[in-house]
Amino acid sequence: MNSFTDWLPTLMIFLPLLGSLLLLVTPKTFRDEVAGFIAALTLGAGLAIWRGGGSELFRWDWIPPLGITYSVQLGGVSLALALVTALMSFIAILYAARRIPNPGPMLSLILAMETGLIGIFAAQDLLLFYVFFEDALIPALLMLAIYGKSGRMAALTKFAAYTLFGSLLMLVSIIGVKTLGGSPTFAMTDLKQNLVTGSAQTWLYLGFLAAMAVKLPLWPMHAWLPDFHEQNHDSGVPDVMGTLYKVGGYGLFTFAIPLFPDASLELRPILMGLAAFTALYAAWIAFRQTDWKRLLAYAGLSHMGFVALGVFSLNETAVIGAMYLLAFQNLYTGALFLSVGMLQERIGSLETRVGGVMTQAGALGGLTMALWFASIAVPGMAGFIGEFSILLGAYQVFPWLAFIAGITTIAAAAYALTAFQTTFWQARPAGSVTVRDLVHTEWLILGIPLVVLVLFGVYSTPALNLMQPAVRAVLTALGGN
Amino acid sequence: MLQPPDVSLTPLLPVLIVLAGAVSSTLLGFWVSRRILTFINLGAVTLSALSLGLLWNRAASAFGGSLQADNAALLLAFVILTGTLMTLLVTLDTAWRARVSFPEFDAMLMYAVTGCLLIAFSGDLIVMLIGLEIMSLSGYVLATLQGSRRAEESGLKYFLLGAAGSAVLIYGIAFVYGATGSLNYAAIAEKTSVLNPENTAILVGGALLMLCGFAFKVALAPFHQWTPDVYGGAPTSVSLFLSTVVKVAAFAGMLRVFGGALENAPGWHSVLAVLIAATLIVGNLAALRQTNFKRMLAYSAVAHTGFLAMALLGTPQVGGAALTYYLLVYTLMTAAALAIVAALQRSEEGFSLLDMRGLYYRHPAYAVALAVCLASLAGLPPFAGFFGKYLVFQAAYQNGYAWISILAALTSVAALVYYLRPAMLLFMPDRTPAREYSLGQRTPTTLTVALGVVGVTALGLLPNIWYSWVANPAIWTLLVGR
Repeated sequence: MNSFTDWLPTLMIFLPLLGSLLLLVTPKTFRDEVAGFIAALTLGAGLAIWRGGGSELFRWDWIPPLGITYSVQLGGVSLALALVTALMSFIAILYAARRIPNPGPMLSLILAMETGLIGIFAAQDLLLFYVFFEDALIPALLMLAIYGKSGRMAALTKFAAYTLFGSLLMLVSIIGVKTLGGSPTFAMTDLKQNLVTGSAQTWLYLGFLAAMAVKLPLWPMHAWLPDFHEQNHDSGVPDVMGTLYKVGGYGLFTFAIPLFPDASLELRPILMGLAAFTALYAAWIAFRQTDWKRLLAYAGLSHMGFVALGVFSLNETAVIGAMYLLAFQNLYTGALFLSVGMLQERIGSLETRVGGVMTQAGALGGLTMALWFASIAVPGMAGFIGEFSILLGAYQVFPWLAFIAGITTIAAAAYALTAFQTTFWQARPAGSVTVRDLVHTEWLILGIPLVVLVLFGVYSTPALNLMQPAVRAVLTALGGN
Repeated sequence: MLQPPDVSLTPLLPVLIVLAGAVSSTLLGFWVSRRILTFINLGAVTLSALSLGLLWNRAASAFGGSLQADNAALLLAFVILTGTLMTLLVTLDTAWRARVSFPEFDAMLMYAVTGCLLIAFSGDLIVMLIGLEIMSLSGYVLATLQGSRRAEESGLKYFLLGAAGSAVLIYGIAFVYGATGSLNYAAIAEKTSVLNPENTAILVGGALLMLCGFAFKVALAPFHQWTPDVYGGAPTSVSLFLSTVVKVAAFAGMLRVFGGALENAPGWHSVLAVLIAATLIVGNLAALRQTNFKRMLAYSAVAHTGFLAMALLGTPQVGGAALTYYLLVYTLMTAAALAIVAALQRSEEGFSLLDMRGLYYRHPAYAVALAVCLASLAGLPPFAGFFGKYLVFQAAYQNGYAWISILAALTSVAALVYYLRPAMLLFMPDRTPAREYSLGQRTPTTLTVALGVVGVTALGLLPNIWYSWVANPAIWTLLVGR
């Protein structure tokens, strides 16, 4: 214990928060550089953990009389997600610094939110998880409040109300898990040895599920999502963070399966049905959208239906696929939000029917196209491995549900390519402004996620090696279904 | 053989110091300005808080157990004195604007605090009642002192309903005396554990009447009707005092009586649960509809009564600790929020929610502080309000009131909406002229606000700073005294 590597997860969690506070006193001219440096350092800390093969569990008694511990660990799935979070936060900062005039508060909020998100992935104590889960909410709300559009108050209220409705029920559930199970602390290691059994487990699972369904999101708890994305700043930076905040799939995987194994099995058919329906329904709605951000919101929702299908199926292949997809959809959904932001900067609109952008901004069109390919799971991109594994695994459990979800991939191609066509191809209307192509860091902002996606689409072994043991360890709680 | 009375003034020290402050305000008011008196009183409050340290772990008592300076009393007194300190600091800045800057104001305030402390230190029902009456009577005067129609209305409402509440409470005390033959907490607790059936009915009646009386004082629905009008109509610094210190004292009384003397008495638990459920629903939903921020905070005080009272449903060992932790946090965050209102309002009506728009760009420090207080009131981690909520949820849950916990969780969603809406408005860019008092940012108020914000943040990150003091279950098993 107490070697430097044990402190790395803590460093990775709180470094962004420190940076966020530091930005408040940094002179305006250096803000971008400081924010970028802190974000890069955080990513570096994450890579160092990866190089060391994940961290050990670090435990410190936070509030001993209440049995609340500060237990953090980054390894396996959590490390992969934390790395993606650090990478996308870095890219969001790059773009925010470039796009938003006087970006101080935005950069601060991105970093503050990064702390909450990495904390969510690192937490190995149920109450600590809750604390980070709520912590990430405050910067998300502030971004919407400070930089949002005219309808933000309604969107904000909806977002907060949904999130908190779920999370407060989860809090009651968390109290129940410890009280009824008789565990001395909220640390996962203790809770796993004091499982609640019988029907109480099902009820507690439902409470937990309420929060995770909102944050997946899963139909019918998804209504906040499109408004949230639509009302956020045009640049798409808050949307990147919002996408990263969709941690429901991870929460279910790390906490719900080990703590509520019987209930997970019992409710599996219903939940998988809901997940498959979410995937298909969201793809259908996405097809009808004329606003890029709403379209992306529903596309993201559809992907989350896939993630949920994988997690709920409790099948090893599908769960690995779900975690893989969860991690990498952050990259392409986030980058697509930024590409939409770039598009908006150039043509002043988020309409999907502007037409002809490709003729003047070939690189923007090309990179966007490539990211969409990742999103609709074209083989050779990371998204494909995730979706394929989920379908393969889910098929072994409920073939029909896998089939319904499978249709979604076709629908995804339909909505993505239609919108892409009406925006980037077709004729540019006469007399419209000339569209500038990508410049400077914009290449990096769209390029880096794409390179990573291709890399892990072709050579998935490192990521799979990272995730597989963690998934196996979690699924052993089920006693081999 | 005549027994000499058990007079010992040491356990009374914190109360006496505050009383000395009150008396000196009454007398010196003829010669010196109120400002000096306020500084004297600030000193008295600080001294009184220090004297609590002297009595810690002594379990001293006086007057044959009528006065208990046990650790429970000391912890509750600390909360009361913290609230008082914050009130006094705020009045330094805002009393002259509210036209209540008389020496009498300070005198009344300190008398009220004396009463509050007596409740916390009480060892029998009579001492508790005397404390409660001193506190209430001074409170009526404070609410009326401004001499405006609004303040008069507020004060009269407070007086009439408060007097009715007191009457019900006294009637309840009489019943309890009838059933047990004693006014001493310890004796009552002893009698209630072995009770013959014909006395049970009287005892239950007495307990319920006392519950109603206390429900008036802490504003549990349906006895909360006076709260928004009184808190909204009184000068903001007085509302601050009433919604923190006075409420803490009333809860201290409830904890002593229901967590101690009547712990084993039947019947009141389920009635209290129903009252809490009503309070949670009414308080939170009504707050959702307010357009005036000060009035919204008044309803939020009602809603918080519901959360705080959940602790009384738990066993005293868990509930006492939860309640005391939450009371301090509640005092810090409510006082800081109202201090900002008092500083920045144009008139004593407070300001409307829409006036708060863009405050961050005009008063960044106060806006951030207010946002922190609101987030804490809403129960968002990492602020201390979250742990307060968590503790009371847990207390009720563990004692078999899971449904109250779930109801509280659901109504909290409404709470979060009405707290977060103004908090977010603060940060929304605004191009209209400022609608708040632009010179409100003054050092004493800033001190109060800083105390509140640093307090809720520190107690949120390291709750053990305060929780380790209150956590020992032994403190709360002896609520009745020895």
